[in-house]
Amino acid sequence: MSTKTVEYLVTRSPELNAEGVPVHAEFPLGVEPELHAEHMLINIGPQHPATHGVLRLVLELDGETVISCTPHIGYLHSSFEKLGEYRTWNQIIPLTDRMDYLAPLIYNCAYAMAVEKLMGIEVTERCRIVRVICMELDRIFSHLLWLGTTAIDIGAFTVFLWTFQERERIYSLHEALTGARITTSATRIGGMMADLPVGWIEALRNFVETLPRTIDETETLLTNNQIWIGRNRDVGVIGPEEAINCGLSGPNLRASGVEYDIRRDRPYYDYETYDFDVVVGEHGDCYDRYLVRIEEMRQSLRILDQAIERVPEGPINVADPRVILPGKTDAMTDMESMIHHFKVVMEGVKAEPGESWFSVESSKGELGMYVVSDGGSKPVRWRVRGPSFINLSALPHMVVGRLLSDVIAVNASLDIVLGEIDR
Amino acid sequence: MGVSLPTAGSGEASFLTTRLDYVVNWARRSSLWPMPFGTACCAIEMMAAAATKFDIARFGMERMSFSPRQADLLICAGRVPYKMAPVLRRIWDQMPQPKWSVSMGACASSGGVFDVYSMVQGIDTIIPVDVYVPGCPPRPEGLIYGILMLQEKIKGESLKNPALREEDPARTGLANLPAATVDEVARPYGNSTKQNRVSGLVDTAALTRPSDREP
Amino acid sequence: MADETFEEAIADLESGRSKAGEQEVPAGDQADAGSHPTVAALRAEFGDAVLHHAVMAGDERVVRVSRDRAVAILRWLKDDPAQEYDFLADVTAVDWGGGRPLDLVYQLWSIPHRRALRVKVSVPLDDPVADTVSGLWKTANWLEREVWDMFGIRFRGHPDLRRILMPEGYAEGHPLRKDFPLRGRFSRAEQTRRILATPVAETYSEQELAVAEEVRSHHRGSAGSEASE
Repeated sequence: MSTKTVEYLVTRSPELNAEGVPVHAEFPLGVEPELHAEHMLINIGPQHPATHGVLRLVLELDGETVISCTPHIGYLHSSFEKLGEYRTWNQIIPLTDRMDYLAPLIYNCAYAMAVEKLMGIEVTERCRIVRVICMELDRIFSHLLWLGTTAIDIGAFTVFLWTFQERERIYSLHEALTGARITTSATRIGGMMADLPVGWIEALRNFVETLPRTIDETETLLTNNQIWIGRNRDVGVIGPEEAINCGLSGPNLRASGVEYDIRRDRPYYDYETYDFDVVVGEHGDCYDRYLVRIEEMRQSLRILDQAIERVPEGPINVADPRVILPGKTDAMTDMESMIHHFKVVMEGVKAEPGESWFSVESSKGELGMYVVSDGGSKPVRWRVRGPSFINLSALPHMVVGRLLSDVIAVNASLDIVLGEIDR
Repeated sequence: MGVSLPTAGSGEASFLTTRLDYVVNWARRSSLWPMPFGTACCAIEMMAAAATKFDIARFGMERMSFSPRQADLLICAGRVPYKMAPVLRRIWDQMPQPKWSVSMGACASSGGVFDVYSMVQGIDTIIPVDVYVPGCPPRPEGLIYGILMLQEKIKGESLKNPALREEDPARTGLANLPAATVDEVARPYGNSTKQNRVSGLVDTAALTRPSDREP
Repeated sequence: MADETFEEAIADLESGRSKAGEQEVPAGDQADAGSHPTVAALRAEFGDAVLHHAVMAGDERVVRVSRDRAVAILRWLKDDPAQEYDFLADVTAVDWGGGRPLDLVYQLWSIPHRRALRVKVSVPLDDPVADTVSGLWKTANWLEREVWDMFGIRFRGHPDLRRILMPEGYAEGHPLRKDFPLRGRFSRAEQTRRILATPVAETYSEQELAVAEEVRSHHRGSAGSEASE
């Protein structure tokens, strides 16, 4: 009977080699009898509770150690981009809700901002601040769901219930603003679908004041919990250079120590005038990604605090007859307004030939909207650079050499949403 | 005592079989174990229905079963592209009888807004469906209403009706509806018939199929 | 008359002359250098491989380059210390329809210098091939697979060019092309039949099947040896 020396990959504090890739410390654990063991091929998903959607991971395992991991996607491909070519500029907005259904307002705003840039439309001050409020609110919305589902993947069920209770309050805010809980379709080219209802700001203020208590309670359950730390610390480490090269963005990139936040580096809607911190981690492991997102929620609350104070009176929609419908009273009484209403509805809003790429810091990373127009009322090309698509492509780099249960933890910490991956 | 018990399959209801039906149906409908086949936005509303505010555990669905072998109810929540269709069919085939299915949302019921090359136009082309819950997404109350409707349906079932639990093993992995019916239910209607490019004046030479336009 | 303007606009965009929607950027380094140092340096380095430069939507720099030197240009953009476009935000394509060449679009961002640049490459329909940049940015791996899947542009040198969003055996073509109808080329019944008849092995990649085959052959071998004992 022959024997072999078995080596395991163990990391305490990984150092990074010259390329910025973590070097795991290896040490031999001893001798074992030579068992002929071949690798196992297992399939996780696409129907699986812990894959956060219809993601399929095919893992090659040596015992419990991952030799290779291949994500297979496309199980939710709904051809949004092709469908967008058959829809007018405003008709695409309901499609944007359904891509990242965890933060629909961010997508609504990002798309409207891209088309407004293409058309050279400046929205009103009130609209700008309301959109900042919407985006930050949905950042919290998305992070709360991430927190709940990540906790439940690691095994902490209570956190899921708490975060969903908080999310119900955001659902009520969505519903008051737009009529729908998830598929909000709140923006239009040149403004919003409707102005803020009476009392909405007070309800939002109440939410902003009471959410920190829930985040604190959740932190007491998780942050210093040895099980949580054991499952997340030094798991799924990715160094800064590799993270940039893999195209990671958002909290995933910042947890690796790269200070790239579009709100600060390429600001839009006066983000440079708001007082907030860009949250940057250090080790690039799951635990840092968790800490970064928790702190980001607090920073979003800070921005919301400031934005609520700034909401001015005034029109929510820009007074541009190319894009905005006239008021209903005018349309019903004034001939010119009626014709204008007819033209905008029947022909659709028209954009000049040209193109525009607009990046927004979404809850998951850099959301890029690329719209190309040939002068008509429908786009030639509508491309969505969904951050989760690229974040997921970095998954194999993070889990090779780790254990099977780490795959679940890393997958959860990436905060992916399949609607945006598969589009 | 002179009471003649009806033989199995005789098709006659009797006092004993209706009592048995009542008990069996009560047990089945009050402890449905759902298998959440959540794909997209409807899955989030399904999760909200399972969370504290709406709580389907009140209706006996405390335990979500992620293994189809131990599940009674397949809740298909979300859009199902063709790539996912064999997975759905296989999960359905793996569920043992008695089983029911709820098609949650517009996309699962009919394709929803996605009348496109990659989307199944209604999961009833793939698996048999008992209850359709419309909405995009349906509110959690809507899903609960659909589940209660299913519970009513189960209440009306009978053990004496073999057709209810019949499943043809030769049809595993195959579509639920015959080809002509699939084309019939999935044909374009309403606004879908007018989907063509009118952007600018560029001729994109898109292929049109005769069935794409209704007169 | 409106037709002519649009036709001209499209023709000019594809041939590289600036037109409506773009602002004319005067030739010469001085005009470029102050506003966006990359373009001037790029012209100095690569000369006539840089076909065209335009400013879109107010402040977005778009550079059209020739296909055969595209990878060299992108590598220079990534590695040159004054440029350092280390973040590849997106690789995508645009099909204008009507037999016009496809536009392959690279969206770059430099994290240290905080600059964006869009690089476009014209890919003719009769020869839809380009060179991969997945050696430069790992991001490009999946992004180029998606461009292959949706547009049919084949990337030379790509380690694993397979379909990514559509099923592996998808026979209807490349969906985001303009000549591909929205509902697909086959009838719904045919699409349903085909997908349900797909063998399970087709949902795995070659490498994965190789692993499974290795396991199976080992078991076959050991079963044989046990039987003989």
